[in-house]
Amino acid sequence: MVKEMLTGNYAAAWGARLSEVDYVPAFPITPQTEIIETLSQWINDGEMNAKFTNMDSEHSMITAAGTAAATGARVFSATSSQGLLYGYEMLYNVTGWRVPLVLVNVSRGLSAPITLEPDHNDILSTRDSGFIQIHAETCQEVLDTILMAYRIAEDERVLLPVLINMDGFYLSFTREPVEIPCKDAVSRFLPEYNPKHAFFKASKPMSQGVAVLGGSAYSYFKYQMHLASLNVLTVHDEVAGEFKRIFGRSYSATEAFKIDDAEYVIIMSNSFTIKGKAAVNKFREKGLKAGLLRLRLIRPFPSTELKAFLRGKKAVAVIDQNISPGSGGILFKDVTTALYHDPDRPERILSFIGGLGGKDIGHAEFKHIVEEMEKSIETGIVPETQLLYTKNDLEHINNLLNIAGNPLEGLEN
Amino acid sequence: MIKRVRFHGRGGQGMKTASRIVGTASFLEEFFVQDCPLYGAERRGAPMVAFTRLSKEPIFERGIITSPDINMIADETLLGDKSANVFQGTWEGTITIVNTHYPASHVRNVYGVVGEIVTLDITEIALNVIGESVLSSTAAAVVCKLTGMITESSLEKAVIKELSSINLKKELIEKNLQAALTCFDRIPETHPHYFEPIKEDKMDEIVKLEYADPRIGTPSVYAKGNTRLKKTGNWRLFRPVIDHEKCSRCRTCFVYCPHSCISIDEGDYPQIDYENCKGCLTCFYECPKKVISKDHEVRAW
Repeated sequence: MVKEMLTGNYAAAWGARLSEVDYVPAFPITPQTEIIETLSQWINDGEMNAKFTNMDSEHSMITAAGTAAATGARVFSATSSQGLLYGYEMLYNVTGWRVPLVLVNVSRGLSAPITLEPDHNDILSTRDSGFIQIHAETCQEVLDTILMAYRIAEDERVLLPVLINMDGFYLSFTREPVEIPCKDAVSRFLPEYNPKHAFFKASKPMSQGVAVLGGSAYSYFKYQMHLASLNVLTVHDEVAGEFKRIFGRSYSATEAFKIDDAEYVIIMSNSFTIKGKAAVNKFREKGLKAGLLRLRLIRPFPSTELKAFLRGKKAVAVIDQNISPGSGGILFKDVTTALYHDPDRPERILSFIGGLGGKDIGHAEFKHIVEEMEKSIETGIVPETQLLYTKNDLEHINNLLNIAGNPLEGLEN
Repeated sequence: MIKRVRFHGRGGQGMKTASRIVGTASFLEEFFVQDCPLYGAERRGAPMVAFTRLSKEPIFERGIITSPDINMIADETLLGDKSANVFQGTWEGTITIVNTHYPASHVRNVYGVVGEIVTLDITEIALNVIGESVLSSTAAAVVCKLTGMITESSLEKAVIKELSSINLKKELIEKNLQAALTCFDRIPETHPHYFEPIKEDKMDEIVKLEYADPRIGTPSVYAKGNTRLKKTGNWRLFRPVIDHEKCSRCRTCFVYCPHSCISIDEGDYPQIDYENCKGCLTCFYECPKKVISKDHEVRAW
């Protein structure tokens, strides 16, 4: 085991290397490219024994990943934002084939307007594809989660691919100390992949992902995917337990921060969670019982665990770093659905949208969230979904709009 | 105690590596640490920023540093560049270090710098010792000393580690090390004015967005010809100079200039638009007669 300063991208490459993957189909896109560049270098230098292929698009890349996994190879790939969307069609195919590959997404806001900084509309657009989704907060967690992901994906109770999310820039280009586990420990945790289920072999012809006409066959196979995904709730905890035993680091489906005696709980995901934790610490210094939950396992959604954490709390605020125009925050719906039938659910659940395109979420925003929770308890009125946008932000955009030129000025009626 | 360091420079000057050297030096001191560059659509010569956070306690922050404790301005031409906004969020507790031959008092008077200010001509040190105006090790050394938390030996190891990782030759690493240690020595150990005032939170407030006319509420630019208003001449680290007496008027430079900054005058000679020439030096390398020289830009402001 060594500790090194690694970016999230480099940590992801280490995760793939330690997992001894056989095949890496790749296509570059900012802010992900460093992952595949690193792997390509290692494979070229003979430090990694795998096949690397630069594809012509993400659509081909995900197809290649899925088909290779269907032959029993251990497959890794990475993409981001527009790239993930370009390969979107094939995400649904590879889940239908029930192949256990691991794909890392480096979150970046979707165009238009085009940007390089993160939010989660890219990754959450794939939430219904059947991929297992795990969202990481730190560079260490990126590496560790890749090791865990192969264990989960290759489990006979699951056999679904896993998407791991990390925020562009905030993790992808940020270096922090990361423990790189030693090879022996990893081999004990993640043995060589020997698939027992159906897979392609020259000596054993078969068809996978066949056409079905008539809804009963289609429904049967789709629902099998749902059941497989639900099995991850159990499998994840088992794998996390073993990970802790071997590496000493502990991951749960939902991370609880100062939650036990908390009355007000903020729910977040990914790297911005650290800003929420800092806010919770500040509120606690002032005597307010605040806490935080970080959603790590997004698919399957750990409803039971969430219910247990939030039972009896005064108010909950979900910060969605995504927006479903015309509806609001995506994760807010999962949270409220999980809580609705619990007789002891929190009194109020509020919805906020923040951090779109990497916009900072500052203390003013967190203060506003807590005030809104208190106000809602007092008045009994739950506000509509609110955008976390400040006076400074408004000044900034007005300044930009001014430079861009106002077409309404000098307009004849 | 947390130290937030922000590096301002131009693409190619080595500020990403500087932030990493400070990061690795802090890591070797067993601090909690983060370092990161901010990539936009930057190219060589364009203003860029990088950040390092070091702390004895776990760091509850990520991303851009809006209010630095140490503000390294490695390129003096950025001082006057509004878009680079190098003094953003500086306060009484900030130590600003400017790479310039001017004394600190001069920079303070011209720019009304808040907080402490230190100047050192690290370009001169880099040119003298390394022979190139690459500022990664020198800028990192200055910052390491100003943190008051990093030893010379950690700086030394960090310079070697980071420069080896980008495959620099051994002798060049040696020279970088020498330049770094020179800078480390030139910054006084305890500056009388370094102090830690208490910072008050500036509170912003939440506003509600209303529906805007779609001509405003969509990402469109209506102002015409505004690209021309953005002069890019201050990106230049080196100025290409054509010796017109020896020029054969072959037009190679005119054809190769990627920014269309070379025009042909009435006498058929190439002329460089210095207001916009970014100093990429393509003309310098492509000139078949080798009659284009490069002059280091100094005292640019």
